[in-house]
Amino acid sequence: MQDLIEILISATAGGCIYALLALAYLVVLRPTGVINFAVGDWGTVAAFGGFLALSEAALPWPVGMAVVVIAAAGLGWLTERIAVRPLVERGAPVLAPILALLGMLVIFREAVSLGFGPDPRPIPQPFGYGRIEWGLLAASYQSVFIIAVTSAVFVGAWYFFERTLAGRSFEAVALDRRAAALMGINLARVTSCAFAAGSALAALAALLLVPNTSAHYLMGIPLAIQGFTALVIGGVGRTEGALVGGLILALVEQLTMRYVPIAPGLVQGVPLLLLIVFLLVRPTGLLAARGGSA
Amino acid sequence: MKTVVQAALVIVVLSAIGFLLGPWQTDIYRKLLLWIALALSYNFLFGVAGQVAFSHFTFYGIGAYAIVILVTQVGMPLPLAALAGVALCVVLALAVAIPATRLDGFYLALATLALAQLFIVFLNEGGAVTGGTGGLASYRLPDIAGVTLSGPRYTVVIVLLTTLTWGVISRLDRSWFGRACRAIRDNPQAAAAMGIDVARTRVIAFTLTSVLAGIAGMVYAFVDNTVNPPIFGLENAFLLLFMVIIGGSGSQFGAVIGATVLYLLPFVLAPLIGHHHALVFGVVMLAVILVQPRGLVGLVKSRPGAGQ
Repeated sequence: MQDLIEILISATAGGCIYALLALAYLVVLRPTGVINFAVGDWGTVAAFGGFLALSEAALPWPVGMAVVVIAAAGLGWLTERIAVRPLVERGAPVLAPILALLGMLVIFREAVSLGFGPDPRPIPQPFGYGRIEWGLLAASYQSVFIIAVTSAVFVGAWYFFERTLAGRSFEAVALDRRAAALMGINLARVTSCAFAAGSALAALAALLLVPNTSAHYLMGIPLAIQGFTALVIGGVGRTEGALVGGLILALVEQLTMRYVPIAPGLVQGVPLLLLIVFLLVRPTGLLAARGGSA
Repeated sequence: MKTVVQAALVIVVLSAIGFLLGPWQTDIYRKLLLWIALALSYNFLFGVAGQVAFSHFTFYGIGAYAIVILVTQVGMPLPLAALAGVALCVVLALAVAIPATRLDGFYLALATLALAQLFIVFLNEGGAVTGGTGGLASYRLPDIAGVTLSGPRYTVVIVLLTTLTWGVISRLDRSWFGRACRAIRDNPQAAAAMGIDVARTRVIAFTLTSVLAGIAGMVYAFVDNTVNPPIFGLENAFLLLFMVIIGGSGSQFGAVIGATVLYLLPFVLAPLIGHHHALVFGVVMLAVILVQPRGLVGLVKSRPGAGQ
C-alpha cells in the first residue's frame, strides 16, 4: 500500500514535469498555430544554464532558478526573432516556422554538446535528499517541490488566461488572428510573449527534473515527445488539459514500470502507445475546448 | 523507349564507376548512393506529400535488421526474408500512419518521432535477437543463384536500387497519385472537395515511401555486414530532413544534390571543425528556410511549377 502511494506521488511529480512541458507547447501553439518541437532543447539549454548557475557558480536555488528562467525567456524571445518572425512577416506557410524551429533544435543541441561535451552534468537537489514520511504518505523533498511549483504555475496560468486582459488577448488571437488584430491586439507582441513564456516554462520543467537525472545534451528529444504526448492526451483546447495529460502519462508510465515485467527501457514506448490510442479513440484529447473550437 | 535507353546508360555509367574505385572510395560511393536513394523517397514523403515524418531512417533500420535476423537467425531464404521485411514495414507504417494522418496538424511528426526513439530502445533491449547495443555483425550475404555478390558487383546492386528508386518516385510523382499528394500538401480541404480521399492518399504515400526506405535498408545491411543501434538514431533522421530541405524540397534533383552535398560536406569540414558538422547543417538549414525556401536547386534554375 505504502509502495503504491509512493509510486502515485512520484508519478504525480513526473506528471507535473510533463504538464509544464505540455504547457510550454500550448502557450506557443494556441496563439500562433506553431508546434514547437524545440521545447525539449530549450529545456536542455536551461538545464546546462542550471548547471552553470547552481553547480559551478553555486548560487542559492531561488536565485539560480530565477536567473535561468529569466534567461530562458530571453532565449525564447530570441528564437522567435530569428526563426519565426521573418517567416510570418513574409507570409510563409505554417510549416516553414515549424521546420525553422527544428533547425533551432539542432543548433541548440549541438551548441550545448560543443560547449559541455557528451558527459552528463550533475545539479544539486534544492532541499537535499531527504524524505517526508507522514503515516502512509512518503515522498522525497524533490517530488513535493516539483508538485508545489507546478501547482503554482498552473494556478498562475489559469488566472492569467481566464482573468486578465492580457491573457484574454492571447485567447482572442488563438480564436481569430485577424479579428484580434482589428480589435487592436498587437499580434507581434503576443507572439514574442508566447515564445518567451514557452521557453521559460520549458526551463522550469528542466530545472525541476535535472536534480534527479543530471543534465545531458541529448535530453531534449524525450522531453519533447513526453510533453507533446501529454498535450495530445489532455487536449489542446484548455490550459488544464496539459496538467491532466501530463499526470495520466506519468501514471501509466510509472505503473507500467512497476507492475509490468518488461525491460525498463521499453517503458519509453508508453508515450507512443498512448499517443496512438488517443489519436484513434479521442483525437480531441480528454478535455474538449469550451466554446468555439481552436 | 528513350527513357529506357537513358536509364540503362545511367546504370552502366554508375556501375562502371564502381569498378574503378579503391576500397575507401567504394565505401563512400556506396553510402552516397544509399543516401541518395533515401533522400529520393523521403523527398516524395516530405517534399511532395508534405508529411513531416521522422521515421524514414527508422524504416531503413527496420529493413536492415529484419533481413539480417530473418536470414541468419530464422534461416529464411533471401527472397522470402526480403518479402517478410517488406510486410513488416507495411504493417508498422500502417499502424503509425492510420491514426496519425486522420488529423490535420503535426501528429504524424510526433508519432514518428516517438517511433524512431522507440526503435533505438528496442534495438538496445532486444537481447540476442538484435544483439543489444553492439548490434549484429559477421554475417554475410548468401549467394544468389550460385553467384557471390561482393566487391564491385555489390556496388551494382546499390546502383540498381538507387536508379529504381529514382524511376519509381518519378513515375509516382507524375501520376495522378503524385498530383493528388501535391494537392493535399498545398490545400487538404480543396483536395478533398475535388474528390481526393485525403486520409487514404496520405496513408498510402507514407506506407509506400516507408517500404522504399525499408528496401534500401535491406541493401545497406550487406554493405558493412554489420548493423548496430547508433547508425539508425535520430541524428540521421534529421540529416535526411536537412538534405531534402537544403537540396530543395519537392524536387528530385534537389534530393540528389542535397544528399550529395550533406553527405560529402563532413569529409571536407572534418579537418576544420571535427565532429560538429551537425551544427553547421542546422545553421545552413535555417538559412535556407529563411532565405531560399526552394533550396539549392532554387538557386540554379527557376522552372515554374517545380519545387514549392
